[in-house]
Amino acid sequence: MARKMIRVLLVEDEEIHRVMARAAVKAAAGAEDDDVLDVAENGAAAVRRVREVAPYDLILMDRQMPVMDGHEATRRIRAMGVTTPIVAVSSDGLPADVEAFIGAGADHFTPKVSQATRQCRPCDACMRHGQQYMIDLCK
Amino acid sequence: MAAALTNQLHALVNNMFATGLLDEQFQQLQMLQDSSAPDFVSEVVTLFCDDGERIIGELARQLDQPNVDFDRVDSFAHQLKGSSASVGAQQVKNTCIQFREFCQQRSRDGCLKTLDLVRTEFYDLRNKFQVMLQLEKQIQACYPKH
Repeated sequence: MARKMIRVLLVEDEEIHRVMARAAVKAAAGAEDDDVLDVAENGAAAVRRVREVAPYDLILMDRQMPVMDGHEATRRIRAMGVTTPIVAVSSDGLPADVEAFIGAGADHFTPKVSQATRQCRPCDACMRHGQQYMIDLCK
Repeated sequence: MAAALTNQLHALVNNMFATGLLDEQFQQLQMLQDSSAPDFVSEVVTLFCDDGERIIGELARQLDQPNVDFDRVDSFAHQLKGSSASVGAQQVKNTCIQFREFCQQRSRDGCLKTLDLVRTEFYDLRNKFQVMLQLEKQIQACYPKH
């Protein structure tokens, strides 16, 4: 039985990183052509989308964004009771950055550079998690 | 004709790696290009060039203010660092790292000197990227689609 499509929310304000992330999600293990990639250009838009749109299977969250940053958006999404896996993405990758994201409720952290390759393990893990989640829903 | 252009292209890109302009991240970008995204590298490189020019303009404007907002300057330097890292622009990325250190030190002189350097490096890279994309178009034109 074919699995249902996976919905991914990409939270990123810069076009170049959105293009890269689309390629990374597409290249991730388990990704299929019908999977949906929605975009929010800042943390506040992300919180609204999570609240208003059908549940996502994976959220890719940038850190530095206008209006609301990734840490705050992650905190607010978790405060809504949403358990969707969140992969934090940042150019810096400093230990304090990673800690802040995980402390806010993110499940994984990946530097932007490794995100946009075929070896993005957090993307692979989350796409497989999303796939398993959908398989469980089909039972 | 195509063979000569291809050799020129390879020589250019190899030189960009050899001189430290590019790092292995650019190779990762090339690996993400396939038949479903045949213009991926061109799209990303073009975005980098457009963003880079805009950001460098903003950095100059910010550093020209009587009271420099170093947090804002740092934010722009961070943006340029991020996009250069993503595209494999190693030299520009490393200069942005230095730039951010001067922002942390609140040093206008340090920032201005580094801005000059990043501007020179960015425009050198941009020129080479433009030649690269032009060669790719010429090579593609040698193989018309039916």
